[in-house]
Amino acid sequence: MPAEAIFMAGKIGFVFFLVLNLAGVLGWVERKQSALMQDRIGANRAPIFGITAIGLFHPLADAIKAFTKEDFIPARAHKLFHTLAPFIALVPALTAFAVIPFGDTLTIGGETTQLVVADLDVGVLFVFAIMSLATFGVVLAGWSSYNNYSMLGGLRASAQMLSYEIVMGLTLVGVFMVYGSLQLTEIARAQGEYFVFGGVNTWIPKWGILTQPLAFFLFLTAAVAESKRLPFDVAEAESELVAGYFTEYSGMKFLMFWMAEFVEIVVISALVATLFLGGWQIPWLHPDGLHVPFTAIVVGLPSLVVSMMGVGAFLMKVFVLIWLQMTIRWTLPRFRYDQIMRLGWKMILPLALVNVVLTGFVVLLLNR
Amino acid sequence: MAARVVKVKRGPELTLWERLYIPEIIRGLAVTSRHFFSNLWGFIIGKPRVATVQYPEQRLEHPAAFRGMPVLVAREDGSERCVACGMCEVACPPRCITIVPEETEGTIERRPKIFDIDLSRCMFCGLCEEACPEEAIVMSADFEIACETREGLIWGKEQLLKPPEQLRRRINYIRDEFNKYDSAKDAPTNVIGATNARLAKPAGEDQRRAGSH
Repeated sequence: MPAEAIFMAGKIGFVFFLVLNLAGVLGWVERKQSALMQDRIGANRAPIFGITAIGLFHPLADAIKAFTKEDFIPARAHKLFHTLAPFIALVPALTAFAVIPFGDTLTIGGETTQLVVADLDVGVLFVFAIMSLATFGVVLAGWSSYNNYSMLGGLRASAQMLSYEIVMGLTLVGVFMVYGSLQLTEIARAQGEYFVFGGVNTWIPKWGILTQPLAFFLFLTAAVAESKRLPFDVAEAESELVAGYFTEYSGMKFLMFWMAEFVEIVVISALVATLFLGGWQIPWLHPDGLHVPFTAIVVGLPSLVVSMMGVGAFLMKVFVLIWLQMTIRWTLPRFRYDQIMRLGWKMILPLALVNVVLTGFVVLLLNR
Repeated sequence: MAARVVKVKRGPELTLWERLYIPEIIRGLAVTSRHFFSNLWGFIIGKPRVATVQYPEQRLEHPAAFRGMPVLVAREDGSERCVACGMCEVACPPRCITIVPEETEGTIERRPKIFDIDLSRCMFCGLCEEACPEEAIVMSADFEIACETREGLIWGKEQLLKPPEQLRRRINYIRDEFNKYDSAKDAPTNVIGATNARLAKPAGEDQRRAGSH
């Protein structure tokens, strides 16, 4: 069917364009935001024809630099795995974006499509399955470099990512119990409904952050740990391990690890936005228009406008979460390795279990 | 043998609120976010509140006490004040000054034929300036002397010579410093060839305004 193919091509193009550009721009955002937070100016050079655009061309200059640099492989490194590792780290992060819905349905010329590349009914499980593959890239990079620092970084990364993946999965069990689906589009759509107490509509949307506040904090913590950034960056730990698992990487392969990190930030932000902040939902905005709270008045809007507003809202939420992660990264100091493990296994994991039990009780009581 | 037990004080115990961690994290985030938004607003309205100096384009004016590289002070006619007495050569701890004197026909009978400073050895201590009886070598505000060869760092007389207007601020500064000492009061000021540093400051000259740039 040609319309479906065009839609699919458009959606894939949009997602790739968005994620890859965001990953590039985030390199600039990180430098600029950290500068502002520390009362500095930050990147403001790299002019093109005299235009610096507050340093926006720095990622471009970085990319050109990385492409033209020598691609160094240590003499005793495993050449194949050393080359393969950055790909294994980057590709899963990009793939995970396939199941994340970035908007509601879009109707153009009588054809309707859901704004998601692949609307899998096991969406979240797919994300977890794919994201855990990134661990292999990290461990492989650490092992194949034939470098003690890389090895230590890889080991730390694998231990940390495995522990926090469990926590991530457990915190989401509560979300599934509330919304009754694993499909990300269904979860996002269910968050457009309102809390109804005793037959009274409160007009407060059922966003995940309100139905599962504990899970939101736990998931965000585990997700930041999963992306191996401060305060959980023991795998990189530049003060102890040079650069951790990618010590022996240079040129474009180094940049691929760097990109994987930023893509992971985007994926985590998108995931949190979808699961806890209502995805593309804007409060009181429905496919037929804006519902004025506590009344039956509906301000009609064309469906195309509503769809576009939804995409905009989703992007807005993603940006805010990216900003939040960056702020966390430039605020908190690094945990010690044992502190990370204690936090993961002795605090967050029990809390996640408590959350599951509590949610179970509440769901049981409400549905009785 | 009874074991000696020393109780070590480990600092204040954390309260439950602090151990909850999340509120304290939020407090930390609030501090950094406040800086972020305050600076962001500063950039938007065009009044940055950051202390950064964009060095090659923007430069701070150094205080007069700043010691840059030593330079030779010129007379009004463009010749050097230096009389090649060799005091700075002797005073220089790393021995970076080389002077070869020569005779002249004028009232001032000596001048340096060669006056080289090896800036790769100079440690910017200012002892040459203190030793100089003629106010002929002073520490300028310049410090950008990087070059690509070792030979390029050996500066000759022509390179080192600077008109006194550019060095007015530093010269006034060292005169002020000199005049702080009681011995300066007895020093003769009317003897030809005596140190110019004992002269009073020229009238109406503001030390702050007469910068070396």
